[in-house]
Amino acid sequence: MALAKKVKQQDVYKRFDQLDGSHPFKKVLPEGFVDYPARIRKGGKVSYFNFTLAKEMGLIPADHDGKITPELEAKILQTFSIQIINEFDQEQERKFPEADMKSGTYMATRYLQLQHDNKQGKTSGDGRSVWNGQVKYRSKVWDISSGGTGATKLSPATSKFGRYFETGDPTISYGCGYAEVDEGFATAILSRVFNQNNYSTERSLAIIEFKNNISINIRAHRNLIRPSHMFLYLKQDDHQSLKSIVDYYIERQRESEVWKDCPQNYRKYDFFLNQIKDTFAKLSARFEDDYIFCWLDWDGDNILMDGGIIDYGSVRQFGLCHYEYRYDDVERFSTNLYEQKTKAKYIVQTFAQVVNYIRTKEKGSITDFANHEVLNSFEDVYENQKDLNLLHRLGLSERKVKQVQKRDPKLVENLRKSFSYFEKMKTKKGEVKISDGKTWDAIFNMRDLLRELPQAFMLSDSNLVAEQFVEIMTSSLASKEDLEINSYKKQKIEEFQKLYKDIIKKTAKIFQETEKKTLLDISRRSQVINKPNRITGDATTFIINEILKKRKELSNEKINNLLNALEATQNLNPDHKVKFPQKYPEGILNKFMEIIEEHREGI
Amino acid sequence: MKLVFYGGGDAEENRTLDSKLLSLIKNQKEPIITFIPACGHDSDEYFNDIVDQYSSLGVSRILRLNIDQPFSEFMKDSIFLSDIIHLGGGNTYYFLKHLKKSGMMQGLKDWALKGGILCGLSAGAIIMTPRIDTAGFPEFDKDDNEENIKNLNSMKLVNFDFFPHYRNSKRYDEALRKYSLGNSAPVYACPDGVGIIVEGEEVRFVGKVACFYEGKKHFINK
Repeated sequence: MALAKKVKQQDVYKRFDQLDGSHPFKKVLPEGFVDYPARIRKGGKVSYFNFTLAKEMGLIPADHDGKITPELEAKILQTFSIQIINEFDQEQERKFPEADMKSGTYMATRYLQLQHDNKQGKTSGDGRSVWNGQVKYRSKVWDISSGGTGATKLSPATSKFGRYFETGDPTISYGCGYAEVDEGFATAILSRVFNQNNYSTERSLAIIEFKNNISINIRAHRNLIRPSHMFLYLKQDDHQSLKSIVDYYIERQRESEVWKDCPQNYRKYDFFLNQIKDTFAKLSARFEDDYIFCWLDWDGDNILMDGGIIDYGSVRQFGLCHYEYRYDDVERFSTNLYEQKTKAKYIVQTFAQVVNYIRTKEKGSITDFANHEVLNSFEDVYENQKDLNLLHRLGLSERKVKQVQKRDPKLVENLRKSFSYFEKMKTKKGEVKISDGKTWDAIFNMRDLLRELPQAFMLSDSNLVAEQFVEIMTSSLASKEDLEINSYKKQKIEEFQKLYKDIIKKTAKIFQETEKKTLLDISRRSQVINKPNRITGDATTFIINEILKKRKELSNEKINNLLNALEATQNLNPDHKVKFPQKYPEGILNKFMEIIEEHREGI
Repeated sequence: MKLVFYGGGDAEENRTLDSKLLSLIKNQKEPIITFIPACGHDSDEYFNDIVDQYSSLGVSRILRLNIDQPFSEFMKDSIFLSDIIHLGGGNTYYFLKHLKKSGMMQGLKDWALKGGILCGLSAGAIIMTPRIDTAGFPEFDKDDNEENIKNLNSMKLVNFDFFPHYRNSKRYDEALRKYSLGNSAPVYACPDGVGIIVEGEEVRFVGKVACFYEGKKHFINK
């Protein structure tokens, strides 16, 4: 009986067995990765497992409960608790018991990274992670990789010091091949929030925890290829490899039916470029409007080909439009919120160069593509998306957003200009240094304004007086001096309210409903979209500290329940029905909510 | 003072009470109703239901104030321009805590005493009574007092206690009889869809209400 049960359990989790290091990429681009043998790493325990994602991927049955049973934990550890046998181990001729050796080999992929001295991507790539493989389930394909599986030769440390490092070498931190538990939880929390709110993102599948805050963090996405996976071959003038990886990407998009209309012939490259342009133009508009900082740069790292967020180390969600914030990466400062667009556009420009190179076999200079038609189109898509975003933030439904923008683009443009005047207003205090960079605080909480203004207009048909208007949107970061109301500001306040009401009138007219009905609809949607307690980067850090502080008293199941509840509080989609696991925030979740509220206007 | 106590239930069950509530409004063609949920974090769906409920009765100015989340002074003052303020159901202890913490408790009480129409469903109804002890029993159906709130004094707008979601069963009756023995005021127990309307000195019962007093039970509106 016991044996039968065991066999059945093994059968339930058999899809994990696909994750043995094999991946089609290996055949497509043999030079595109470094392959490592690996061994089982002992002493780990599963701290977190994303049941929802595992079900989507078919790794566990749809009716699996939310408990990590001993059988499931054993399977997760057997599959993912690995450490590569790296160049250092091989140099030292280290031997490991045969029973601990994994049968497959695991690839660390090569890609371009600006922090490496070699600007052609000859030394860079997955520095502390390897790909576990691919899972196919119900016509969906998932790539899975794990961070913290050992130091590879593609780490910045090897590149900088010209030698191989032992995994876990205490003399280096970034480059020792380990990942940390807090990083794992940051990814788990933020990726769940972003995924729920319709952002493409890597998703945390599991965290395996070891002693001393060390972990293996497992992530999944429909396709883990980044622009930087392609750009290195462009920089190296390697036409064949570049074409191979672009073709590989296009085929995967086609097979997964994301690009159903992609042509088969050479026109597929135009289609490819066009898709990339749309993705990155819309993405940069959305990052700006949702105040999401994701360090985009020329190397095409830190972002996936479909615009998915990856590597949460520097990803933040601001509470206000802190567009002057820059992350201090020791050797350089990052881009800021608005420069992300410039970098996204540059990535598209580089893809124009890529496509031209593939088709002509002659690599033009990047500057030759500075006026490429795709960049004009990028601007159009970006501007259009900014308009749509604002109407969405106001609280209009998707159908209404499209119609209003289509029928009166000038009105929307004017409203955007007026909105932006307040959104970008900064404190007179000027630039300040903060723990991980520098910033110059925004002073107005526009999300508060968009949430409360429709209610104010329901109470009275008159405009708010300037002082009331300012009071609604005043953030905790504003000083008395910042809030002075001069005649120009008064005029702008009047102008904004007029334009806002014009949008209501226009919408009501188009949809043949009363203005009161339009306003009520906007109000209830806006309260979800602009809910006051939205998680920020700072709040995430403090929440993780809280989890780690209470780690011993929190079972896996409790952590899962907590993250489920936390995710539910962060739904910003008024069309999405959320199931709350707790009727009200109690215990640790209550503490989380207090943290979120305290840091809601921060970085 | 105009108060409406709802025992619980959905829009369909409360249709009679809702129409009586709206009839309390005088001279207002476009009434304003503000909904205050017991807990803001899970109130998006609840608010949608409230909007549907009042919209179907012709109300189009419906506001929400989450008192356990940040809001402006403007909103804090403005909700008192409402014709009706609706206190939602949920965890009574959590609701009481945040009504006090946000400074809304006294404002709501003063507003009601000056003639504002205050209504409450379940936890929201209990909040209008002198104390919220009735949220703490019976053992099998009580609110958790997670933060061990000791001061259970509430709005004290009436001199009776209120018990929502009442079911005419031995288990409930035992608990209510026991409680009423040590209580100087009567306890009115209302099933879903049943309620009480207080208008000045007059108390009206809508549906079959059980009254527990000095250990005895009797029905009003049999």
